Amino acid sequence: MTELSVTPRDAKPPIGGWLPGIRLSGAQTAVLDAAADELIPGGGGFPAPSEVDVISFIARYVTPSGLEPKWFPFLGEDDFRARLDGLGQEFADAASARRVTVLEGLERDEPEFFTRLRDVVYHAYYSRPEVIRAINRLPAGRDYRNTPQPYGYSDVMDDWDDELLSRVRGTYIRTEDVRRVAIPADLPMCSARQAREAGEN
Amino acid sequence: MAAYTETDVLVIGAGAGGGAVSKRLSDAGIKVVCLEQGDWVHAMEHPHMYDGWELERKRSWSFEPNVRRFPEDYPVTGNTTPYTFTGVGGSTLHYAAAWPRFKPVDFRKGTEHGVEGTIDWPISYEELEPFYAINDAEIGVARRTGDPGNPARPEGWGPASRGGKVGHKMGSGFDKLGWHWWPADNAILTRAKDARLACNDCGFCLAGCPRHSIASTDVSYWPAALRNGVDLRVNARVEQINAKGGRATGATYIDRVTGQHHEVRAGIVVVAANSIGTPRLLLMSAQNGHPDGLANSNGLVGTHLMYHSWSFVDFWFDEPLEGFKGPEPAVLYSQEFYDSDPSRGFVNGFSLQVGTSLGAATSALGTNTGNTAPWGAGHRRFFDDHFGRHALVYVQGEDLPVRTNRVTLDPEVKDSSGLPAPHVHYELHENDRRLVEWGQQRAREAADAAGGVIDTTTTGIGGIDAPPPGWHIMGTCRMGNTPEDSVTNKWNQTWDLPNLFITDASSLTTGAAVNPTSTLQAVAVRAAEYIKRRHRDIASQTTTPSNAEAPAL
Repeated sequence: MTELSVTPRDAKPPIGGWLPGIRLSGAQTAVLDAAADELIPGGGGFPAPSEVDVISFIARYVTPSGLEPKWFPFLGEDDFRARLDGLGQEFADAASARRVTVLEGLERDEPEFFTRLRDVVYHAYYSRPEVIRAINRLPAGRDYRNTPQPYGYSDVMDDWDDELLSRVRGTYIRTEDVRRVAIPADLPMCSARQAREAGEN
Repeated sequence: MAAYTETDVLVIGAGAGGGAVSKRLSDAGIKVVCLEQGDWVHAMEHPHMYDGWELERKRSWSFEPNVRRFPEDYPVTGNTTPYTFTGVGGSTLHYAAAWPRFKPVDFRKGTEHGVEGTIDWPISYEELEPFYAINDAEIGVARRTGDPGNPARPEGWGPASRGGKVGHKMGSGFDKLGWHWWPADNAILTRAKDARLACNDCGFCLAGCPRHSIASTDVSYWPAALRNGVDLRVNARVEQINAKGGRATGATYIDRVTGQHHEVRAGIVVVAANSIGTPRLLLMSAQNGHPDGLANSNGLVGTHLMYHSWSFVDFWFDEPLEGFKGPEPAVLYSQEFYDSDPSRGFVNGFSLQVGTSLGAATSALGTNTGNTAPWGAGHRRFFDDHFGRHALVYVQGEDLPVRTNRVTLDPEVKDSSGLPAPHVHYELHENDRRLVEWGQQRAREAADAAGGVIDTTTTGIGGIDAPPPGWHIMGTCRMGNTPEDSVTNKWNQTWDLPNLFITDASSLTTGAAVNPTSTLQAVAVRAAEYIKRRHRDIASQTTTPSNAEAPAL
């Protein structure tokens, strides 16, 4: 069977990211985990990013080498590896305060890359099942699920308050009741008012 | 084999207007060919079951064609951000499905004030109402009847979408102020219909709907239209509408798969390519006898573009509201400030609509207004205080039709088939700037009345003093009263070519202060009914009749 495909392989971003995802080296993984742990520190009932494998999520959303990184989060494999290598083992091994200082410098000096890194780490972290379970322990998050479908939330959804609705008042202008209104005198570019004034003179 | 296809009616665009027209005409046995430059979207192409579902809204389901950069999209240049989608279903594949109707006064804004390019519609609410009702039944509206702020509407296919804690919270705020409010009508099934499942309140409406609960036309109108025998050609990108002797004769299109050019000849041509695509196509169709584009002898094609004036105001409260549940864009609305009151310093009015908040990543990344959780030591506290405690109130203002807000052709940028990109210019009128600024204060008042606001941020006026984004794109080929004030007569016939019809949001004479799809689709259904009943008259017309002289339904 001839496949008449109008869309080349790289013309659209595959939903869920590119499989199998880029494979970071051990050193690159350590640097990315360390950065993620400073962006979203664990604690308060929440795990650290490095404990919940944010790497595998990010690896799917970094555009593989050879393709243009033209879709969110706009991170291309070659550049991403180079930046992780640039931070290096020294960053991964540094104390937290030192790593924060480095990230603050990155935020100041390379805000575009920093924002992309932060955004993809936030997306990765808040997609992890362990993090969803932590959210479920918050009063406002007890019903929150990993994905909108297939379950939805109809089983835990409040309906309208009929008593509240019984008090609603309102009105509208009927077609036959539409009347001319005065146009605010200080409204600039007010051709209708000018036209009317011209007609009156 | 003929080098062209012949049909009774050619429809260009398979979205809100084109789907409705194709179905209604084919119900009556009229032979229809529909050309759509995009393709079908499969249920598995929606991101709702992927762990990256929130990220995908910025990526494969970005609102902006210039960000998605799909081959079927065309680039849009200019100073604004259009939100459109290309495919069978058009931008209904990616819409809120909020389903309010225009009010009677909206059809008489020329009488009420006539500011800038404002004119009366050539029809009244009462004339359009039967077609609202037909369309509501086709799409399966969710509705709670009894809204005292609007004319009576028929029972919905199902009850209104449930409001959840967000609905109760903000409804209580409006109640305390004594302001009007009501549960939103939505084009979302709350009861199964045909092969479409009822909504399960998943909270993620603005990336299409894999359950087909949301009435995008690929699932509302197209299954029936295809059963009726409509010849729907996808990946068919129209390059020119053809005309001869004062009448449209059809169109030529590029098959995006093979690259070959084809011609369709038709007795009637209906353009429904949305308020950017339709003027683009008419302007691209300049030819002998039509040097400035089709239907453009008065120079109005592309003008009077309307977007609504917008302000999004995010509020966070000191209690759980669970805004990750329920219909995302429209839980309820207040129309307390809908009507003109010039003592406010502006004409026209606005709706306050209440929406919800998506998921955890979106909450951490600023919800709708850039209120991003800080990284580092302050992250956890900020997130825990904000997640699931949010309600969105947005000011949706009527914007004036201004002649210089318009769509033209970009002289340099082309789409993937080499056709000119549209260029869009939009400036917010001072009237509309005042309106949305005043409306922001009312949004704050409502949230304060609801009580317990701990944080709030806003996009400002029109997205921090930028032109508003094109959530709702309207009015570039408006229907009107004379050949001097509009592009079509009251039956959507272009003044220049009696058998060329326009049935999308570009037809809307004014934009009201509500979401437009229910109205544009009612107008499309009405035009289809006219074609159905009057196609013999249309076939014999050499000039487009005036509104007074046109044969009645």
